[in-house]
Amino acid sequence: MKISGSYTIRAPRQAVWDRLIDPQAIAGCLPGVEKLNQVGQDEYEMSMTVGIGPVRGTYEGKVRLANMNPPDEYQMQVEGSGRPGFVRGTGTVRLADGPNSTTQITYEGDVEVGGPVAGVAQRMLGGVAKRLVEQFFSCIEKQITSS
Amino acid sequence: MAVTKLFGASVKRREDPRLITGRGNFTDHIRLPGTLFMALKRSPHAHARIVRVDVSKARAMPGVVAVYTGQDLVDKLAPVPCAWLIPNSDLKVPSYRALAVDKVRYVGDAVAAVVAENRYVAEDALEAIDVEYEVLPAIVDQEQATQDGAPQLYDDVPNNIAFHWKLHAGDFDSAWNQAEVKLSRRLINHRLIPTAMEPRGALAHYNPGTGDLTIWCTSQNPHVHRLLLSAVTGIPETRIRVIATDVGGGFGSKIPMYSGEMLASAISRDLGRPIKWFESRRENYVATTHGRDHIQYVDLAATREGKVTGIRVKSYANLGAYLSTASPGVPTWLFGLMLCGAYAIPAVHVDVFGVVTNTTPTDAYRGAGRPEATYLLERMMDLLARELGMDPADIRRKNFVPKEQFPYTTATGLQYDSGNYEATLDRALELVNYQQLRREQEELRAQGRYLGIGFSTYVEVCGLAPSAAAGAMGFQGGLWESATVRVHPSGKVSVFTGSNPHGQGEETTFAQIVADELGISIDDVEIVHGDTEMIPFGMGTYGSRSLAVGGTAVIMATRKVKEKATKIAAHLLEVAPEDVTFENGRFFVKGAPDRAKTFQEVAGAAYLAWSMPEGVTPGLEETHFHDPINNTFPFGCHICVAEVDADTGKVSFRKYVAVDDVGNVVNPMIVDGQVHGGIAQGLAQAVYEYAAYDENGQLLTATLMDYAVPKASMLPRFDVDRTVTPTPVNPMGAKGAGETGTIASTPAVANAIIDALSPFGIDHLDIPLTPERIWRAVQERRG
Repeated sequence: MKISGSYTIRAPRQAVWDRLIDPQAIAGCLPGVEKLNQVGQDEYEMSMTVGIGPVRGTYEGKVRLANMNPPDEYQMQVEGSGRPGFVRGTGTVRLADGPNSTTQITYEGDVEVGGPVAGVAQRMLGGVAKRLVEQFFSCIEKQITSS
Repeated sequence: MAVTKLFGASVKRREDPRLITGRGNFTDHIRLPGTLFMALKRSPHAHARIVRVDVSKARAMPGVVAVYTGQDLVDKLAPVPCAWLIPNSDLKVPSYRALAVDKVRYVGDAVAAVVAENRYVAEDALEAIDVEYEVLPAIVDQEQATQDGAPQLYDDVPNNIAFHWKLHAGDFDSAWNQAEVKLSRRLINHRLIPTAMEPRGALAHYNPGTGDLTIWCTSQNPHVHRLLLSAVTGIPETRIRVIATDVGGGFGSKIPMYSGEMLASAISRDLGRPIKWFESRRENYVATTHGRDHIQYVDLAATREGKVTGIRVKSYANLGAYLSTASPGVPTWLFGLMLCGAYAIPAVHVDVFGVVTNTTPTDAYRGAGRPEATYLLERMMDLLARELGMDPADIRRKNFVPKEQFPYTTATGLQYDSGNYEATLDRALELVNYQQLRREQEELRAQGRYLGIGFSTYVEVCGLAPSAAAGAMGFQGGLWESATVRVHPSGKVSVFTGSNPHGQGEETTFAQIVADELGISIDDVEIVHGDTEMIPFGMGTYGSRSLAVGGTAVIMATRKVKEKATKIAAHLLEVAPEDVTFENGRFFVKGAPDRAKTFQEVAGAAYLAWSMPEGVTPGLEETHFHDPINNTFPFGCHICVAEVDADTGKVSFRKYVAVDDVGNVVNPMIVDGQVHGGIAQGLAQAVYEYAAYDENGQLLTATLMDYAVPKASMLPRFDVDRTVTPTPVNPMGAKGAGETGTIASTPAVANAIIDALSPFGIDHLDIPLTPERIWRAVQERRG
């Protein structure tokens, strides 16, 4: 399933970039993240509890940041599996300067779910994914503006 | 004593108080001390190689007794059997392991079994099993699966084609070459999920002391399951008892042998403890067989007067990832043989490709093959009517097998037993007030409202039999049925039937028949079914066969009882058996009705046996195995009237008339119920139900929230009527009614909606006709 969208953060591009690739910021801002351990260069193991429709469950998996092109663009690969099934996704995040020292973030990606969660919740996935992404960016924004 | 005849009476179902007050004997109600619960780890991938299964964490969990992988059971359990080996088709039956060994081939394929002290622990332990998969590309669409380059499920099933089955009857090529009218269409008969109210489950109890396996399970055919369980476990049949007394619906999905029952049996033997396994609803959606799923290419040849001269069908049947027990027979014989429908079509060419894909296996689902044939034919008849500017009722009438021609042999070789197709059409036209409706349709169109009238003049094959035909079709079993009638010393009667009702009401209808035959109260007749230790070998309930085949076995056994009782009565009355008449439960001397013995007196005498006629043994009990001479062929006309809101695509049903002819009817209330339920399911295929997969083989409709089983409010009122054309095939003249509604209603509803859309130039849309699909089609035409 394809997802895409955009988000504006009221902070300059370099500051946004720094936060977006900071493991502590990711762990603090991705909703439901219970642990995030660095296991390699730009590669993290994490455990995340997410509810998609009526199916709530914990997914253990990996996050990898790739093709980093600071402070313009990077790719994020996520895969996790757990009781409700599995989730896999890749996405590209692009940053551009907006007016009044804001940063315009655009993202697009492809998410796949499988197993029980697919049969129960796939039709809600698009909405859930968008909400998670927006919560993430909004949290990043708060972190920058409050620091 | 006047005795009311019960044949034809709407006796209330005797089983219902038990079933609707929670006092049924369903498998999950059975409790045995020391029972362990089994849960199955299922694949989340549609197609993947199993690299590694690590069960060590699960094994170490408190409360977990054992964990099995596919490899652990290779020597303890033979593969899941396929029992319909269609001949002349190059059929390939790939190995289907109860727990996958090398690869998983659909989402839901079982890879490991956990056995624990209770279900909570078992389900939690599933999570602790670590399976490493190498994910492979999946294929879902059966037509694409046959193309070069498509992912291959098996090394030894090239292009995923498990069989190519052909039935070429008559000379289609010359019919086509000479045809004045040629119609060609691609039709989709989409996948459905049976959704029985009770999911599947089993309680298997192997007694290590005696070597006996007792298994309670959700079965439509306990003896068949005993035979197959014996074959896969190696436990002799004499040591296996299968019990399936109360079963909460099946619709065909409880015919096959599945991994769950096999695993529970094998593991109970391994551990020497009772094992219970029960599906969750979610598992039921992915792991119990689905139905339908054909892509059909149809060519129809006809004259300008509207006479069909030939039909050619190429169908791709989606078998799912493995071949389920009856799966090869459903899209072939049960489909192809019925492609003449109610019409005198001289040439029928059918080619069916059975294709394996990364989806849940398919098998029989209410109607099984016949709905797929009927939808195809009835849709094509409407297209032909449209092409020729004829009334859809007239085109059907023109092609009907005339009533003078019964018994009628179809091009495909079936012998239709009896019929009067015009009578059901006429009655249905009268009930909907057809001419008036067409006028109203015109008036409404002028106001921008779209009313449609849809027909389905179906014929179906019921009473699946006889055994010789089953053999010729490659079905690995007979299609007879058994009955034992045991008269007790009191004159009360136990009837043991090989049929296995799971909602059909035979505890009532069979008792009605026996009470009539013996002139006793229905309260004195008990129907026993579903326990292989109590009943003779029986074939079970499916294919609308229980009354026509099982009921006839009951009658024949009862008549043997009467014959013996007459001899005993004659002896007691000191006359020759020829001089005794039996009526209303009394044996009396012809011409001297006061010299009589009641049935109960004779029963008592048979067991006392103080004075028996020469050569007559004590006791009063008879068994009969009935193998019918032919199938039965119910028929009818369903008319659906629906209005479509062209702006939203919403369909509202105005009227639904069903005129069926199922021959003589034992219990009209039960037949009405069967017809209602059948229409609900068939109508749902036309507008609601749809098993949807994404391109990766994930089932998207795996809950009752996502798979649209209709609620009462989503259905119109059904006006049900009947004509009566008895069958000569059995002494009751009864044909069967279990599947008529499902078979008839899908095309009636689709035809109504497409008729409503005809002002937009729409002559076909694939089902299900959801508001979105209709709205898109209308938008496209409106531009």
